[in-house]
Amino acid sequence: MWRALTVFRFASLGYAAILMANSFRTYERPWLGWAVLGVMAAWSIFASIAYAEKKRRGWPLLIADLVVTLAVLLASQWVIPPVLLQGGAATIPMAWVASPVLAWASTGGRRAGVFAALTIGAADLWLRGSVSYATVNATVLLVLAGFVIGYVVHLALESEARMQAATELEAATRERERLARGIHDGVLQVLALIARRGAELGGEAAELGKLAGQQESALRALVSVQQPAHQAGEADLRETLGQFASPLVELALPATPVPVPQGVALELAAAVGSALDNVRVHCGPAAKAWVLLELEGPAITVTVRDNGPGIPEGRLDQAAAEGRLGVAQSIVGRMRDIGGTALITSAADGTEVELRYPK
Amino acid sequence: MTKIMVVDDHPMWREGVARDLAEAGYDVIATAGEGAQAIRVGGSLKPEVMVLDLQLPDMSGVDVIKGVMAAHPNVRILVLSASAEHQDVLEAVKAGALGYLVKSAGHDEFLEAVRRTAEGDAVFTAGLAGLVLGEYRRLAAAPVSSGSENPRLTDRETEILRLVAKGLSYRQIADRLVLSHRTVQNHVQNTLGKLQLHNRVELVRYAIEQGLDDTPSNS
Repeated sequence: MWRALTVFRFASLGYAAILMANSFRTYERPWLGWAVLGVMAAWSIFASIAYAEKKRRGWPLLIADLVVTLAVLLASQWVIPPVLLQGGAATIPMAWVASPVLAWASTGGRRAGVFAALTIGAADLWLRGSVSYATVNATVLLVLAGFVIGYVVHLALESEARMQAATELEAATRERERLARGIHDGVLQVLALIARRGAELGGEAAELGKLAGQQESALRALVSVQQPAHQAGEADLRETLGQFASPLVELALPATPVPVPQGVALELAAAVGSALDNVRVHCGPAAKAWVLLELEGPAITVTVRDNGPGIPEGRLDQAAAEGRLGVAQSIVGRMRDIGGTALITSAADGTEVELRYPK
Repeated sequence: MTKIMVVDDHPMWREGVARDLAEAGYDVIATAGEGAQAIRVGGSLKPEVMVLDLQLPDMSGVDVIKGVMAAHPNVRILVLSASAEHQDVLEAVKAGALGYLVKSAGHDEFLEAVRRTAEGDAVFTAGLAGLVLGEYRRLAAAPVSSGSENPRLTDRETEILRLVAKGLSYRQIADRLVLSHRTVQNHVQNTLGKLQLHNRVELVRYAIEQGLDDTPSNS
């Protein structure tokens, strides 16, 4: 981008020089014209060097660029006869005035580009003293250039940032896989061993063992790396539900990915999460729960079952009648929102929440 | 006394498991830390039960199972794994392992699983039931390979497998469906048996397609 701007600067400088060589005889002060051209050449060289370094591309340089360009443009009034100027003749710098517009747009985006273009347009207008077809035309072109370049730069930066994020994600995934292998071979084994021995020893050791066991489950869920078999905007429901695995929650999942839209995965996970919270509240901290994920044809079923005492008959209806939106209601509501259903059944050996999503 | 072999590359874990089994009255005839060693020793000492870790340094758990089963077809393998890598576990069970337990399982749960494995009963955790259920569903949706039909579950088998996957014990399932404990056990065993049979048929077919047809005949 900046190299392209340098090329443009020198190309437009060459054009201005050719115009000058062609018509300096009609000018009021040809020597001043050549001097202005000299300033333009000097500034072109300086700006090319200055813009090449990223840390110098700040507002001071941009403002200086605009000011020099304005000065060169306004100097035209002492060089070119006013009659010619009002007749729409070319100014000394000609297309060279677009350089700061492009620089502003590249750095500050669309708004900065349009601002620089309007500033130069205004100077041009003041110079010629009247609104002419040529002035408006030139200004419109400048504004368009500022806008388009600003927009393109914005897009380029955005895609570069995305590219960067994707590369980082890939590197992170690879690192995670490497870590996961290491952790499988070592840390998980030792944690499981501590959990086992602790339980055998009893007492305080059992407490430690239990903690080790919880950490083992958490760590295993964290490092289990699945192939990203899903497309953008889709999630593998197995991974989404993986977060719930713990010593008290056993997951039963298929071996192959269960792709669903991201939003559906989040809603289903939220529904499962509140069902599990409900288990903790109503069945105590020692109750076990199971989460079964099934993909049958196009339909997905997630079942959450606990081994608690079950819900007393009529309890759910009673809560609803009292106007309290129980957890059960919120689960049903969530499922309805994504076009699915929720069925809650209760028996003496536990409660089951069956979530169905027809996909 | 039931003869058992323990295969695990983690020495501390291996010793711990062997000690627990010995204390519970089993005869631990050998331990091994590598797959090749497990196949060699397992083939010659012929343990009745093998407790096998799926992550071994030299070869995959599935290949170890295949190797051991080839050398000693009557062995009953219980897979014990630190990781819950779904595909690996499913492949291990399809290759002939009788059951699967995560290493975080409790002491009693582990001994119970070994006892049932020694009796030739499939050891189904809820997690494994979910995997097997998923595999049947995948096969039902997959195109049928030429020649044979993909195995299917009966309605009863599906019902029972779902209940296992939801954490019900065989006893609870038997009560709920008004069946005997043994019948529930048999249904679960069948689901695994059909899958293993299908796997063997597929392997033979694959071998024929890949090699035997091209073998130059001697006649």
